[in-house]
Amino acid sequence: MKFTTDIVIGLEIHIELNTNTKLFCGCATKGSDEPNSRVCPVCLGHPGSKPVLNKKVVEFATKLGLAMNCKIDKELVFSRKSYFYPDLAKNYQITQYEQPLCKNGSMKLSNGKTIGITRIHVEEDPAALVHPGSIHGSNYVLIDYNRSGNPLCEIVTEPDMASPEEAREFMNKLITILEYLEIFDPDAIIKADANVSVKESGYIRSEIKNITGFKEIERALNYEVQRQKRAVADGEKLIQDTRSWDAEKGMSSRLRTKETEDDYGYIIDPDLVITDITDEFVKNIKDNMPELADEKMEKFKEHGIADDNAEIISKNKDLAKVYELLVKEIDADKVSKWARRDLMKAANYHKKNVADLDLEKVVPKFVSVLKAEISGEINAKIAFMGTSSIVEDPEFDVDKYIGDNKSQGDDSAIEGFVKEVISEQKENVSKYKAGEGKVLNFLVGQVMRKSQGKADAGKIKELLIKCLQ
Amino acid sequence: MSHEKEALEEAKKINEEYHYLNTITDKPLEGHMHQGKLSGYTVSVKDAICVKDVETTGGSAILDGYKPVIDSTVSKKVKSQGGLIIGKTAQDAFGFGGFSVNVGIGKKIPLNPFDKERACGGSSGGCAGFTAKTNLKHVSLAESTGGSIVCPASFCGVVGLCPTYGRVSRYGLLDYGNSLDKIGPMGKNVKDTALLLEVISGFDSKESTCADVEVDEYSSFVGKDVKGMKIALIKECFGKGVNEKVAEQVNQAIEKLKEKGAVIEEVSLPLVSEYGLAVYYILAMCEASTNLAKYCGIRYGKMKDCTGKGFNEYFSEIRSENLNEESKRRIMIGTFARMAGFRDAYYIKAAKIRTKIISEYKEQFEKYDALICPTMPVIAPKFSEIEKMTPLENYMMDILTVGPNLAGLPHITIPTGKVDGMPVGTMLIADHFEEKKLVQLGSALE
Repeated sequence: MKFTTDIVIGLEIHIELNTNTKLFCGCATKGSDEPNSRVCPVCLGHPGSKPVLNKKVVEFATKLGLAMNCKIDKELVFSRKSYFYPDLAKNYQITQYEQPLCKNGSMKLSNGKTIGITRIHVEEDPAALVHPGSIHGSNYVLIDYNRSGNPLCEIVTEPDMASPEEAREFMNKLITILEYLEIFDPDAIIKADANVSVKESGYIRSEIKNITGFKEIERALNYEVQRQKRAVADGEKLIQDTRSWDAEKGMSSRLRTKETEDDYGYIIDPDLVITDITDEFVKNIKDNMPELADEKMEKFKEHGIADDNAEIISKNKDLAKVYELLVKEIDADKVSKWARRDLMKAANYHKKNVADLDLEKVVPKFVSVLKAEISGEINAKIAFMGTSSIVEDPEFDVDKYIGDNKSQGDDSAIEGFVKEVISEQKENVSKYKAGEGKVLNFLVGQVMRKSQGKADAGKIKELLIKCLQ
Repeated sequence: MSHEKEALEEAKKINEEYHYLNTITDKPLEGHMHQGKLSGYTVSVKDAICVKDVETTGGSAILDGYKPVIDSTVSKKVKSQGGLIIGKTAQDAFGFGGFSVNVGIGKKIPLNPFDKERACGGSSGGCAGFTAKTNLKHVSLAESTGGSIVCPASFCGVVGLCPTYGRVSRYGLLDYGNSLDKIGPMGKNVKDTALLLEVISGFDSKESTCADVEVDEYSSFVGKDVKGMKIALIKECFGKGVNEKVAEQVNQAIEKLKEKGAVIEEVSLPLVSEYGLAVYYILAMCEASTNLAKYCGIRYGKMKDCTGKGFNEYFSEIRSENLNEESKRRIMIGTFARMAGFRDAYYIKAAKIRTKIISEYKEQFEKYDALICPTMPVIAPKFSEIEKMTPLENYMMDILTVGPNLAGLPHITIPTGKVDGMPVGTMLIADHFEEKKLVQLGSALE
């Protein structure tokens, strides 16, 4: 392959699919964290046990493949990848080799660049190794097989990314897709391996293994790019190698060079039959695919809302859902601003996710609040407090709240408060008149207080300016 | 004396002399029923088949002391139909052998019931020997990868039936070559054998390769008229390397079928005769080398103090000390044949030829009900003769049995005559899921 960019990055990303049961046995994927409590002869690799495919995993992986514009294979074939390691129950991993379920996909970045997806395949997760104390300090290791056999998808990209930032955007978009498809546990840890090379070395590639966590990926990539550039600048001749990322130290170190590349001796897993992936199966999944973030963003932009609002709302599946429900009844621009600011602020304040809201209950209440605000019945602050109260308690009596907090539309009453404040705040008034404009906000606040928060701030301001002239 | 006690006493007595059983079960087993199709039968089980709470080693020292937490589907079915499981039988460790001399370290070699100087055949040697020797009503759960049911049955003069791949669930079977392994019955006669097959066959959701195909009432085909059935003798199986006296006995069996009205013709199976053995050993060893990787002294089986040792060092020691020579040989050959650079030339090519071999057989079954040939090219050899054999000469013994095993075709061996006082077996091969024809034709030879 001929590269031209300064930096060349390809990623292999492992994500855990959120099925209820493991890939080849009926053990639960979630639940008790007591070590080795969610295990059976299959995921412990006991003699005589046999794997039986969890069809739900195939469905989830196919969804992901379609969302990434991949070609879905006609059959599902599993292979054994042999290597000895204490976290592997059978000392081989059941994975896909020659024939991945999905291949030749693509994903578009915001700069218009297309990142090729080489393949997406399904495999089983190994067990977790627990080093009492620290990984370097302990002289033995414990094995927890709860994770053994959990379903993973490995996504392999082409080396199409030209910067750690592009890689980050790719990852962001991937996670949004996973969330939209509801096939992924947002709390699960994403693991990645990255291929990195730079122009200066003539694109001598290093593979960085075991990068754990979304943020670490960009960090490891930045480190690796700098390491390679510095090495070349120092006159070092790079050789193709496999490296391990150490998050604690924030650096990578060599595991092996290409000459000693592992040989996994793949064979087709003879315990599993080749499963046909019928056109009907794929069509059924396709027909039931949700609209994804990019499509939604384009649609939202057509509503005439600001581009950045469209992007932010579409990236959050649950926020997008609230927006779509409200926009049926309320002006799109207003809803988009409200969703992005008020709703997110209220949710953060109450430490809730938008996903936790009981939409059937809260949406009509949000509509009432927003309508009241738009008509001027209540002011913006009262409206936000209303939104916040609904987020906190879906049973919140919104009609009573609006009734109790009606804006004092009566100009004469507000004018009375304005006059009172002007006579009370002589010092500030003269400051204002001397040109200290920001004093006005303080005076508005004083009037608002007298109205017990029910007046419209804009109105107060208007009257104040008039009276102070 | 109760049936249980009588069986136990007899088993112990036979075992002292012949070493057919690795473990004798002297306690009642979970799920054992007193009524059913097998009530009144004692049942021996190849050591590679898991029986819950009964030591199951696959004949290898590396699993010494391992008591499965699961019942194999077949042992569960046997118990629920009243079969009394009396023990786990001696075998070549993990099924790696044709004489049951490659037993695990510290285990005893079973002796031929007709001549203690000779081998039982293998790898299900203990199953065949015990079935021949016991005086009680008995059937045995054996297992074949490349001939391990019919070979020992033939050498010990009993009936052995290796069913279609997928006919009987492999759940609970210690894997040798998963795409080849088949659990099947042995018995003193065709009727008993058919009865056990009837009990153990059928779909199992716990095993992905198990076929959802209706189970025939096999025992009802015993003694059915064979008039007009078309049988082809396989030309290559009577040629070079096959003892003439053995071939003569088989020819007499063929005559017997003719007399009963079967139509006999001759066919040639050049592909399987030429490549069967090589293809079988490549595939079986590739699969075996991955299957045995799990035995590393961590979760079960043999363990030792690992203080101060890294994982690689620890599992290498456990495996070096507890796997026998033949197991090591097959792991090494199998690992080699699937290594990058050799994989295409061996593993992938063998898989392709296997498909062609299946087609070669399938073509014959468009014309014939069954194929016929000797089960083994020789009578049971003496231990002194086996000692002189090279590994390759050893593997050559499977020349007649690997074909149907590779193609997943059901086959049966029937004792038909003797040579030098030792039994000779005639083998019949039928199309997939046509076990009933084997029962029908097999009983005509009794």
